[in-house]
Parts: sequence; structure tokens; C-alpha cells
Amino acid sequence: MLTPKERLLNALTGKAADRPPVICPGGMMNAAVVDVMNKTGNTLPDGHFTPEAMSRLAYDVYENTGFENFGIPFCMTVEAEALGSSVDFGSLKCEPKIQEERFMSVKDVAFVQEGSIEKQPRAEAVIQSIYALSKKYPDVPAIGSLTGPISTAASIVDPMIFLKELRREKERAHQVIDYVTNQLISYAKQMADNGASVISIADPTATGEILGPKMFEEYAVCYLNKIADAVHEAGIPVIIHICGDVLMIKPQLKQLHGNVLSVDAIADLKSLKDSLENQRTMGNISTYLLEFSDAEKVYQRTKHLLTKNIDVLAPACGLSTSTPLENITAFTAAVKEQ
Amino acid sequence: MPRTKQELYALLSDAVVEMDEDTSVALSNESVEAGYDAFETIDQGLAKGMERAGKLFDESEYFVPELLMCADALNAGVNILKPYIKTEEQSEKHRIVIGVIEGDTHDIGKNLVKLMLSSAGFEVIDLGRDVPPISFVENAIKENAEIIMMSSLMTTTMDGMKETIQLLNEKGVREQFKVAVGGGPVSSGFAEKIGADGYSSNANQAVKLANEWCRQIK
Repeated sequence: MLTPKERLLNALTGKAADRPPVICPGGMMNAAVVDVMNKTGNTLPDGHFTPEAMSRLAYDVYENTGFENFGIPFCMTVEAEALGSSVDFGSLKCEPKIQEERFMSVKDVAFVQEGSIEKQPRAEAVIQSIYALSKKYPDVPAIGSLTGPISTAASIVDPMIFLKELRREKERAHQVIDYVTNQLISYAKQMADNGASVISIADPTATGEILGPKMFEEYAVCYLNKIADAVHEAGIPVIIHICGDVLMIKPQLKQLHGNVLSVDAIADLKSLKDSLENQRTMGNISTYLLEFSDAEKVYQRTKHLLTKNIDVLAPACGLSTSTPLENITAFTAAVKEQ
Repeated sequence: MPRTKQELYALLSDAVVEMDEDTSVALSNESVEAGYDAFETIDQGLAKGMERAGKLFDESEYFVPELLMCADALNAGVNILKPYIKTEEQSEKHRIVIGVIEGDTHDIGKNLVKLMLSSAGFEVIDLGRDVPPISFVENAIKENAEIIMMSSLMTTTMDGMKETIQLLNEKGVREQFKVAVGGGPVSSGFAEKIGADGYSSNANQAVKLANEWCRQIK
């Protein structure tokens, strides 16, 4: 029988596996729900700061939800904080968020030395936690979650101004996103060097609905691929998650270099897979269903999803922290029965 | 030869659609100098342009960056014309309290709704992002608003919308307001479930909804 790590790596690289893996990659899509934290006593926001607390919570999530991976960190603010923005760390129930972007315009962005993210204490904690978990549990894949380049850039520059500057200040916008991309690559490589089995990139500001196909191609595809290529060079596979309705950006999705494409619940994965030819797909149990429905409905829906030839089963988007644990275990158990 | 009103209004509308702030400013100044009515210039020129931009957004010709730049062109013109609006034309506008629910800082969608509502002639009181439910209620009462619009981009924060409606009920003021919800994870089913009056999936629909309600109110 395959270990969870072998199963995931096989699924991501197109090798045969006994069944698809079921994972929750961390970052924006993490499964540190209130039910788990109340059960174990290892809670957020503490889990955002030290490698020990991060590892304990990541293990609790793995142990209790049935997801076959460790997913770290539990937010998408690590990178932007390291690049100068202030963060509100939230509470048990509420995820951290950017309090104030560091810059008002791409024109104001002061570049700091490459490699600055991983020097920030919380990023260091992420790297150490990945190291510790991958050593202690070599059979379980530790996934390092990365905030995508467009979302990170829109977290250090006021997002409304940033979006306009994608048109108005094209050249400078490219420079800033490229700078952010290089910082992210350096950080991702550190995660890879310290035992991460996979890097997962979620870029919720880079959607077809917000940017439109042209800008999605010019900005998102270009820089996401730069990161994916660098991570591949470091020797591990990449998950890319695209939020929202992807109908309009299908041709652009084909160009993505990730090993697997994760999408939101709005996309029908079967037809998406058919039209994307060689792209592997990941997803996409509705997080709304997981939160508001019951275990039986989640189970039925998962069984239906399993008929669609999806490579990796996962939640479609960020889980609500109030998602009942029994709905999550109904999802993972249904996959494991295969 | 000076341009006619109609020519000028059409060019202003084009300037907004083409995201051209400089032209919008120049043409607005021209309208002032020609002595054309400032309110009419906004209404027939700039706002018409924003309406067209909204339509292009609906048709997936324009996306968020384009719509934001159209709004900048609109506002640049409005700033020139505003001081010249005659007081009798400043009729009472319908008031809408809008914000992103507590815990959520994603306000791109909310900002789009706000801008389309403002350019459609509503007075929008923007509570910003990360707004606690009680603050929606208190501000709606204080501002004498007719409509409350809440948005959320994370499933985590949707509960706050329900709480706002509960608070309105508890205070016995639910009937004073129409409540609309929107944002990524929100659906019409969810709106119905928590007892909201309406749901809109995008900024243009929000304007349609508000227009419809205001026709009922007046």
C-alpha cells in the first residue's frame, strides 16, 4: 500500500496510484477549524507564530480531519508582512488579514534584498515547522503554502490602486510583481530545501473575473509560471489554485506550469479536464456544502465527485472555520473508501 | 465654434468609457465655460459613460481595473462640475449604507458596488471593511438610510450577515430597511435563508436592485 506521500506525489506527477489522495493544502485553504482546535486545545492565533505551535496544529488537523497531508501556514499574510505590511492576527475563529498595505502605489515600492521573506520570524517558523514535521513523519507530505505573486503584490500596495496601475503603470507594475515573485521563489526554495514535499500557490486576487483574460495572461500566468518553474528546479511539484469562475480563462489555464490545477466549486471538473487536455485537476467539494450541509449529503456529493476522474480531491476554496468536523471527515472517508 | 450640449455630453460619456481623465477634466471645464447646466452635464454625460462602462463590465469586455479607471475619469469630471450644481437640483438622494462584514478585508467587490451606486445617483455611506454587525444597524439608523448592503468574500464571515439581520429584528427596525447581500461565497439561497430582502451577484445587479426598491419606497 502506498504511503500518503507516495500517493500524492504519484497523483501530481501522473504515476499510477491506488486511489486519488484527499488533501487540504494550507494557507488560504487550511483546515484548522474551530472543532479541531477546541478538541485539542492547540489554537489560533497562537499557531501563527512559533514552529512548535504551528506543527502541533498542523498535526491535529491531519490527525482529526483525515486529510492526508500537513498544510502550513494557516493564513496568507506571512509574505506581505515580511515585505512591510501590517497584519491583524485575528482570533480562534477569524483568520489573519492585512491591516494596512505598506505602499499606496507601485511607484512607492522600495525593494528590499532578495531572501527577506524567510528572515521574518513567522516565515522562519513556517520553514522550521515544515522541517520538523517532515523529519518526524516522513510518510506524510508536508505542503508549504505560498501566497501568489498578484495577491502578495496587492497586499503590499493598496489593492484598488494596484489594480488600476496594472494598466496605468504597466512597466512599474511588472517590476514590482517580478520583485515580489523573486522574493516568493527564494522563500519557496527554503521550504523545499527543508523538507516540503509540495508547494501550493493560491492567488485569489488573480482571477479571470477580476483581471479578465488578457491581464490574467499578462500578469498571473507569467509570474505564477516563473515560481512553478523555480520550484520544479528545486525538485518538487506545484499545486496552483485559481479562485472564482474560470470559464473565461480556459486558454490561459492551459498555459500554467503547475503539476495540478485546483479550482473553485463553480467549475465542473469533468468538463474542465476534458477541455484542458493534459492539465491534471484538483478539487472541488463546495466549502459551502461542507459548512452548511450534513455528513450524509457531503458523502453523497463526494461519491459523485469521485466519478469525475479528478486527480486530487480537496476543498474547492478556503474552509470556513465553523465547518463541522464530521462533515470534513465524511468527505475524507468517502475518498478513502475507494 | 463651440460644441453643442449634446456633442459635449457624448464626448464626456466617451471620455469615461475610454478611461481618459484628462479629457474628462477638459470637457467638464468646457461645459462650465459654455454655461451649460452642471447637473445635466454629469447626468447626461459622465454618468451615461459610467453606465456604458458598467454594461461593458457585464459583457466581460471590461474587468475590474478598467471599471476603476472609468470611475476615476468620472470623478475627475464630477469634481470640476460639482461647485456649479444649482442648489434646487440637489434633490434628496436615496441613502444606502454599505460595508464588508467583520472579519473580512476583501473590499474590491464592495468598492465596485459603491462606485456604480454613486454614479447611478445614490448617496452611499461606506462603512469600509471589517464592519461589525451592530455598526451596520447603528449607522443605518443614524444616517436614515433606506437600504443596507453587506458583502463578504469569505465563507468564514457570512454568519455576520445573519447576525446583522437578527439585530435589526431585535431592535424592531427590520421593516425600515431593505437588506441586500453579496460577495463571492454568497448565493440567493443564502440570502433567503438568513432573511435578507435581496441578493446581487455583481455591481450592476446591485444598482438594479436598489433602483427597484426605491421605486417601491417612493
